[in-house]
Amino acid sequence: MRLLRLRRRRRPCPRRWRWGVAPKAVDRKVVPVAAAAAAAAADEVSNEVHVLAVDDSSVDRAVIAKILRSSKYRVTTVESATRALELLCLGLVPNVNMIITDYWMPGMTGYELLKRVKESSKLREIPVVIMSSENVPNRISRCLEEGAEDFLLKPVRPSDVSRLCSRIRW
Amino acid sequence: MAGAALRDQLSALLSSMFSQGLVDEQFEQLQMLQDEGGTPGFVAEVVTLFCDDAERIIAEIATLLEQPIVSFDKVDAFVHQLKGSSASVGAQKVKFTCMQFRQFCQEKSRDGCLMALAVVRNEFYDLRNKFQTMLQLEQQIQAYDHKQQ
Repeated sequence: MRLLRLRRRRRPCPRRWRWGVAPKAVDRKVVPVAAAAAAAAADEVSNEVHVLAVDDSSVDRAVIAKILRSSKYRVTTVESATRALELLCLGLVPNVNMIITDYWMPGMTGYELLKRVKESSKLREIPVVIMSSENVPNRISRCLEEGAEDFLLKPVRPSDVSRLCSRIRW
Repeated sequence: MAGAALRDQLSALLSSMFSQGLVDEQFEQLQMLQDEGGTPGFVAEVVTLFCDDAERIIAEIATLLEQPIVSFDKVDAFVHQLKGSSASVGAQKVKFTCMQFRQFCQEKSRDGCLMALAVVRNEFYDLRNKFQTMLQLEQQIQAYDHKQQ
């Protein structure tokens, strides 16, 4: 029997999501075909939803990446929270629209990554989703209180991710 | 004719893997992801990653259990990893054995752990053989289809 996913409790302050900004109609110009194609490719990349997936398990990385890519999201996978923070803080993964991370990882946990992201003025608007193979109510509520967008139980199914992504306004 | 025979074989193999409880719905989800995405290598990739992972973890656990003083926390951490990846790939039997294995870790029973390790190893080898046969059949079917075109 699938266990219910807990929804995040409404926080008093409203959260605004800032995503990749689409070009306004007034900015579009008439350009030669080749340049237009190049520009279209760039637009595609910048308007695509980009997810950073963090998990120390190679199997889980492959599965979550596949599920996200089959929904046409761009995915960058990393194997540790430390590496994820490095990439985010150094600006090496531009325009991340969502972080999805395993809870328990050696070194920095997903919970600690969540806290660091929410403490950072640069990163705090990025929704963070936690995944865990263990259904521990305290753990779930701690993550949600810390600002996690959602908490998914592993093994993650395509339906879990599509339900999640349909709620987030890209 | 040969193509149909190969497909029947693959279908029978997959049916038996499901009915024997070797794999569960999660494995089916992975197959569906592969079929929907039109990316033929996905299941092979995940299965290979799982087998490499499992082999490494089983060897680490065996080494830990040979020590004069067993660190049950470390053993438990490895079993937890194996349980996680077996759940993600849909390896049901291995996953259930890992759950029992963790009990023995909690009880700090070396004998219990050694027994559970033997069971997990056998189940893993059995599953790995079936996965290998499955992948070989898929490759043969693809090669046959390609020749027909």
